[in-house]
Amino acid sequence: MLKAKVILVALGAALAVPQALAGASPEEDRKESVEYFKQMFPDVPFEEFVNGQYALNEDRRKQWESMQDFPPYEFAVAEGQELFETPFANGKTYASCFENGGIGIRQNYPYFDTEKNEVITLELAINRCREANGEEPLKWKKGAIASISAYMASTSQGKPINIKVPDDPEALAAYQDGKKFYYSRRGQLNFSCASCHVQNPGKWIRADFLSPALGQPANFPVHRAKWGELGTLHRRFAGCNNNVRAEPLPAQSEEYRNLEYFLTYMSNGLPVVGPATRP
Amino acid sequence: MNKPLLAIGISLALSVPLAAQGGPKEDFQEVYAKAQSTHQDAGNFQWTITSDRLKAAKSAADSGDHEKAMAMAKEALKLAEESVAQRKKQKEAWRQVAIGN
Repeated sequence: MLKAKVILVALGAALAVPQALAGASPEEDRKESVEYFKQMFPDVPFEEFVNGQYALNEDRRKQWESMQDFPPYEFAVAEGQELFETPFANGKTYASCFENGGIGIRQNYPYFDTEKNEVITLELAINRCREANGEEPLKWKKGAIASISAYMASTSQGKPINIKVPDDPEALAAYQDGKKFYYSRRGQLNFSCASCHVQNPGKWIRADFLSPALGQPANFPVHRAKWGELGTLHRRFAGCNNNVRAEPLPAQSEEYRNLEYFLTYMSNGLPVVGPATRP
Repeated sequence: MNKPLLAIGISLALSVPLAAQGGPKEDFQEVYAKAQSTHQDAGNFQWTITSDRLKAAKSAADSGDHEKAMAMAKEALKLAEESVAQRKKQKEAWRQVAIGN
C-alpha cells in the first residue's frame, strides 16, 4: 500500500514539473518570435520590420515613399511640440514629469511601475502629468494627446526600443496577460491578433494588407488615411477588436496596457520610427 | 351526468395552463434579462453583435413590438452563450498557438 502511494506521488510530481516549467521567459519569447519572422520573410532585414506592410509589399512601399516628402503628420508634430512646451497654469511643463525632460525617451515606454504595480504607457504618463499639475486629462485616442505623443516619439527617432520586464511576479503577470490577450481568439469572427499578424502577415484580408507583429508599435502614433488624422495605439487596438466583432475595451484599460507591454517588448532592439503613416 | 357542471370543469381545466403562462411582455423580460447576464459573463470576450441585438430587442419592446423584441432577445442570448463558450475555450487554447509556449 505504501509503495503504491509513493509511486502515485512520484507520478504526480513528474507530471507537475513540466507544467511548472512551461511558459517561456519574455526574452525567450522575443528571440523565438524574431526567428519566426526572419524565417517567414528571409529577405526582409530585421530593422525593416518597423515599416510593417511597406517592408513586404513593393506597391505599398512606393506609395508610402512618395508620401514621405510631405508626411501628413508634420502639422500634428509641430502642434505636439507647442503643447509640450506650453506651461500649465502652475507654470510647469510636461518636461517636469519625465526623465531627461521628456526628450528621447519614447523607446522606454511602456514600462512596469513596481510601486504602483501597473504598466505605464506614454499616453497614461502624459495625462497623469497633467492631473499632477492640476490640469484636466486629455481624451485618449486622438487629438492633443496623439500630437504630444507624436512629438515625443519624434525626439526618439532611431533609438532602439528598450522595454524591460523586471524580475517581479506582478510585472511578469502583466506581460503574460498581454501575451494571452494577443493570442486569444475573440469576437464573432473568432480571430486573435495573432491570426492576422503572426499567422498571416504578408497576405490580404479584403482590402487590407496584413503587417507582421514584429515592429508594429515602433511607428505609433500613426496617421491613417482611413482616419484622416493621427491616432494612438489603443485606438488601433479598439479598431482591430471591432473589426472581428469583439466589443472594444476602453483605451488605457489594464488589458490594453498589458497588451501594449507584451507587443512592444517583442519589438525590443528595433528603432523607434513614430510617428508614421498607414493606409 | 350533470352537463353544466362538466362544462364548467372542462373550462377550468383548460384555463389553468393559460393562467400559469406569463404574457408576452413577461416572457420577453425573462429572456432579455438572461441574455444580458450571459453577455456580462463573457467579460472581455463580449461580441459587438450581441450588444446590437440587445439594443434592438429593447427598442422593439419599447415600441410595443413584442414579437420582434422576443426574436432579438433570443438571438442575443444565443450569441452571448457562444461568446461565453469562446471565453472558456480560449482560457487554455491560446497557449497552443503562442510563440514561446
